[in-house]
Amino acid sequence: MKPDPDADTRSLQALIAGAAQGDHASFARIYERTHTHLFGVAVRILGQGQAAEDVLQEAYVSIWKSAAGYRSEVDGQPIQPMTWLIAIVRNKALDAFRSRARRKETELPESGDVDEEDTETTATPAPSAAQLFEQATEALHIEGCMSALEGSYRQSLALAYYQGLSHTEVAAQMGAPLGSVKAWIRRGLEKLKGCLAAQGVVA
Amino acid sequence: MRYTNPELLEHLASSYVLGTLAHGARRRFERLQRDRTDVRVLVTQWEARLGQLAVSVPVHKPSPKVWAAIAARTQPMRTQHAPQAKGSWLGWLKPAGFGFGGLAAGVIAASAFFIAMPTLFMSSDQLAMRSGERLPQSYVGLLTDAQGNGKLLVSSLRHGKTMTVKVIGPITPPATGRLVLWAVPASGPAFSLGAVPTSGSSVSMLPDTSEKLLSKVTKLVVTLETDANPAKPGETVVFSGNCAKLW
Repeated sequence: MKPDPDADTRSLQALIAGAAQGDHASFARIYERTHTHLFGVAVRILGQGQAAEDVLQEAYVSIWKSAAGYRSEVDGQPIQPMTWLIAIVRNKALDAFRSRARRKETELPESGDVDEEDTETTATPAPSAAQLFEQATEALHIEGCMSALEGSYRQSLALAYYQGLSHTEVAAQMGAPLGSVKAWIRRGLEKLKGCLAAQGVVA
Repeated sequence: MRYTNPELLEHLASSYVLGTLAHGARRRFERLQRDRTDVRVLVTQWEARLGQLAVSVPVHKPSPKVWAAIAARTQPMRTQHAPQAKGSWLGWLKPAGFGFGGLAAGVIAASAFFIAMPTLFMSSDQLAMRSGERLPQSYVGLLTDAQGNGKLLVSSLRHGKTMTVKVIGPITPPATGRLVLWAVPASGPAFSLGAVPTSGSSVSMLPDTSEKLLSKVTKLVVTLETDANPAKPGETVVFSGNCAKLW
């Protein structure tokens, strides 16, 4: 992509509208502005490498094709363009992650059959996911609200969100019963919804 | 499963966006989203919530080859691979032992089945849309300013519970207050359909189906309101247009 000496001051929303009308220059600007962040989202789930780059490529092709589908407002709530872009990348990263996990199960069937109820507490929780969750809640000014939840609730939510882990994988990571993890994540999501609503994010 | 329980839908939407919905359930929920606008709204709301958590994700720089590949796929007119593509396409078929005659026969058989029994795949409304006979049954409104310039396109499927408002002409955001869309029945008081965007488009949930809400509505107006919850349209009508039944 050629660097543009004249900074494009158009909003991301205007660039998406341009891309929706087939303006490839607008699309290039969208990439320029967002690709390092969106690649970061893919790398969190898939790790740095070809898989994350493939997902990024697929995501931007999808963004180009579906730019007309972006809605700036849903049910009276403004939807930031970045929200829409992140959702596209995360969905593709999650699909790729699950697909890779399924392939591994096929190749190594004995390693894919984990009984959550019998898993011993040996795995250490991923501190990076927990740290990212903490940083995000601080940035969103909901750390006080979210701290009303026990640490295990926040940790299970962080592992699922930042590492794309399934309930079973979170349970294995935390060495906790599957049923508990499901309940923690569900409660964590409800709490997050309430805390964000109090900050005016999607009531 | 009929997916009528709001709590279940909310739970599925949050799990889908988080990524904890398992394989089969994930695919089923994606199909449900394609068919149900209300489910798409729930998913979008959860995407807005959980997308906030990405604020702390460190940025990473991909290889420059990624953009080159994206540009090649999104600017098809500029790529020059057509002659080679033909060779590689046939070459791809041969080692697979996939005879061209067999492929052609398969395509013809599938097409014939589709043409013979299209109702197995699509509703009558979808069929009519596909054949170009008609648009889906909807309520639509084209709102213009006092000079007749098109400003907003309002649409809602006849039996749907969502409304889409698309900005089709430049709108200057009001310095104070907000723009509110009103449905004006032939007789009876006008009622609010919510705020309208000043750029892009918005989709919002309606309290009931369009058929129940709009069947007697003849006109749509947008007024400038300073009250948070106005009970009736204010004096300043900014845009107006007829509400039409598209069937």
